[in-house]
Amino acid sequence: MPDVQALVNDFVLKLKRRKIEGSHASARHTAELLRSVISHQRMRQTNQAGALIDAVKAVGEQLIAANPVELAVGNIVRRVLHIIREEDLSSTATAIEGLGLSAGSDDDDEGQYEDRPALSAAALAAAARSTLRAPSLQTLLGDIPGSAVTPQPPSSWGDSEGKSKSDKNLRSRKLKHDVIEAINELIQDIDTCHEQVSEQAVEHIHQNEVILTLGRSRTVKEFLCAAKEKNRSFRVFVAEGAPRYQGHVLAKELVGKGIQTTVITDSAVFAMISRVNMVIVGAHAIMANGGVVAPVGINMVALAAQRHAVPFVVVAGSHKLCPLYPHNSEVLLNDLKSPSDLVDFGEFSDCMDFGSHGGSPLLHVVNPAFDYVPPKLVSLFITDTGGHNPSYMYRLIADYYSADDLVVKQRSTS
Amino acid sequence: MQNEGTSKPQKQKTSKAERRAIQEAQRAAKAAAKEAGGVKPSASSGGAVPALKQGKVAKPSSQRKDGPQVTAPVTSSEKKVVDRLPEKDRKKDVPHPRMQFDDKHRVEKAKRRAVVNQSEARSRVELFRHLPQYIRGTQLPDLESKFFQLDPIHPSVYKVGLQYLSGDISGGNARCIAMLLAFKEAIKDYSTPPEKALVRDLTAKIGSYVSFFIECRPLSISMGNAIKFLKSRIAKLPHTLSESEAKSSLQSDIDRFINEKIVIADKVIVRHAVTKIRDGDVLLTYGSSSVVEMIFLYALELGKHFRVVVVDSRPKLDGQALLCRLVAKGLNCTYTHINAISYIMHEVTRVFLGASSVLSNGTVYSRVGTACVAMAAHAFQVPVLVCCEAYKFHERVQLDSICSNELGDPDVISKVPGWKDLNHLDNWADNENLQLLNLTYDATPSDYVSMIITDYGMLPPTSVPVLVREYRREHLWI
Repeated sequence: MPDVQALVNDFVLKLKRRKIEGSHASARHTAELLRSVISHQRMRQTNQAGALIDAVKAVGEQLIAANPVELAVGNIVRRVLHIIREEDLSSTATAIEGLGLSAGSDDDDEGQYEDRPALSAAALAAAARSTLRAPSLQTLLGDIPGSAVTPQPPSSWGDSEGKSKSDKNLRSRKLKHDVIEAINELIQDIDTCHEQVSEQAVEHIHQNEVILTLGRSRTVKEFLCAAKEKNRSFRVFVAEGAPRYQGHVLAKELVGKGIQTTVITDSAVFAMISRVNMVIVGAHAIMANGGVVAPVGINMVALAAQRHAVPFVVVAGSHKLCPLYPHNSEVLLNDLKSPSDLVDFGEFSDCMDFGSHGGSPLLHVVNPAFDYVPPKLVSLFITDTGGHNPSYMYRLIADYYSADDLVVKQRSTS
Repeated sequence: MQNEGTSKPQKQKTSKAERRAIQEAQRAAKAAAKEAGGVKPSASSGGAVPALKQGKVAKPSSQRKDGPQVTAPVTSSEKKVVDRLPEKDRKKDVPHPRMQFDDKHRVEKAKRRAVVNQSEARSRVELFRHLPQYIRGTQLPDLESKFFQLDPIHPSVYKVGLQYLSGDISGGNARCIAMLLAFKEAIKDYSTPPEKALVRDLTAKIGSYVSFFIECRPLSISMGNAIKFLKSRIAKLPHTLSESEAKSSLQSDIDRFINEKIVIADKVIVRHAVTKIRDGDVLLTYGSSSVVEMIFLYALELGKHFRVVVVDSRPKLDGQALLCRLVAKGLNCTYTHINAISYIMHEVTRVFLGASSVLSNGTVYSRVGTACVAMAAHAFQVPVLVCCEAYKFHERVQLDSICSNELGDPDVISKVPGWKDLNHLDNWADNENLQLLNLTYDATPSDYVSMIITDYGMLPPTSVPVLVREYRREHLWI
């Protein structure tokens, strides 16, 4: 346990000091850290899932608090929690099967439902809320055939008390094992998201296209290189993306792959967009309403694209999908960086006379890191699960997250 | 007398120019016949041709070197000399098509006559083949080395040209005023050579100076209009004046133009604009515009309480100079980069923008990035006020920023001042797949602009062609 805590502290420190940059790196580290946490967790006899969830929530709360703007961290924490709940659900479901009860899958016929122990209405309602299963005819018309993953130990089911201890141990080890396997899959998904997204490049980029992008996104770079490998002819306008100037890096990389690239200044975006076929950008995070938190300047590009009816495509891995809604995103989901990127302190020191005007400086320099793009400006999201409309993104959340986990707070043990 | 004009056969002319001279002579003769007796001198076959056909600057016969035939996008309407018949007035309103640089033949001809040797940039952006793209670094030393050979260029004109080339003077008003003052000096030192008509010779000389300026930096629209004014004043000189009287009349005309059209116009604009500033306003401006700066300082003098947001962009970063001046005067300022425009626009109540010109379809032609600012303001329902003197209006129309623009030095994009380790784009010219594009202007569509403040009042963008037409060019300038 102590070494896990050391790992957690180390990671928290890195997040606080912004040493880890980028959602990909943050997501990967978070997943690996949570995997360590889970593998070191000692399993109780009862309510293993609850214990795991508590442990993950405790760590997750610290991680999210360290860097609230890095939404990928929170996403992965919630993904892991969802994984735990799912694995627990499916393992108890198999246990039910083992007891001769219905497995809870939709394929079972009605006859098996009578063998179920009577679940209270509250438990049923809780089950309905937390499983977030896609509705099917059977669920709509009949009782919900699964059990709720409630914090109550399985002992609330009268029959399951009779199970032998060895069975329980087997189940607990299996739960941990399953969860860790699922987390490994998650890590693999995070790593391969670029390839999955790039596979769709051929569907969207054809011949003689002119593409505009701003700044640098690794996903966009792989996307464009994949299209180039399939011998699609296109040219790219890269806006340099001040004040980080990552556009220069992207331009160099694209040119290395043989793509015709032109670097323009950010102010020239409106001027050039009339000759552009498509805008492809990356995102920092995708919110539940389909809005995008993106590097600063991309909202300007989105507005220009809307004006000229140019499709605005956002490419992102699914680990960037966040179940939260962007309330007051300009302030709450933004990082204000150092003014020295914009203004040289030496030049302006004589302008900032702190002696007058009651000591407050006359000059404020604003350097936000992120921009919010509303969903109505986005034409298409391309994720590793395919292409989606912004209005569809809330459904994807149901696949990856549980409604219980939106607020990651350690529950006080009752 | 002014009715002759044999040229000194100092240099060989191409046959085309000779034909052009003959054409011009015939046309002038026709005009002279129509007007009341010999007001206009009839050009002889060898005379210098002041009229500019096809938008090209005429070659004065007394010059050793000729100005290039390239013209900036705006001096196209310089062909409207008073020599034209009155019934051609209607046709005058159609601006002549500008020289397009993808026409190889004309570019070659222009290069042969250039004062400054310009080598074309290796990596040219395809989309802008119709605009000149020259390698920048060699122009200044080249020009400096030619100083003692450039007899026909007056030293004050030369000085202003160098200032344009190096970027010391920038901004529509500043460039126009500097040019007119240089011309004033040149006129003061001018003396008519024997056997020559003052009007024709002086017009030709001015034409050669203009071509020199164009080589240093393409003309802005304000400069183009001022040149049109000057040439029309020269052409309208009564022939009864002596040389010194003519010169002093021209000098006073120039003074009057600068005073009325720029200095006093700015004052009128400022007075109109401060009525739109209320206490508690947050005003946004982009880049550095002389008029907008005057508006803010005047509003401060009047005692209004407001904040200013200065939005700046690469590569010129001219907002920083404006910021320094405003903060020095005690204004509360916020400074940001154009990428953060959506972030800052939440707090802004008004946007004040300057313009290089307003075109006849209401499009505002100004520093690149203005369109982005206007678009963001429109998206947040913030009114956009464009402040532009009336002499900058032009009858040309433009749909987007590609048709006509000025391409700046691409190297400034790869070099970011203050970031020594940002060297990803070093040696960019070696790579044929990579191009850098440095646009200078862009065209803001008229629906983003709420109001244009001119010295004729505050008007909507749709009223600009009315102003250009009803007040006619002469009235606009006089």
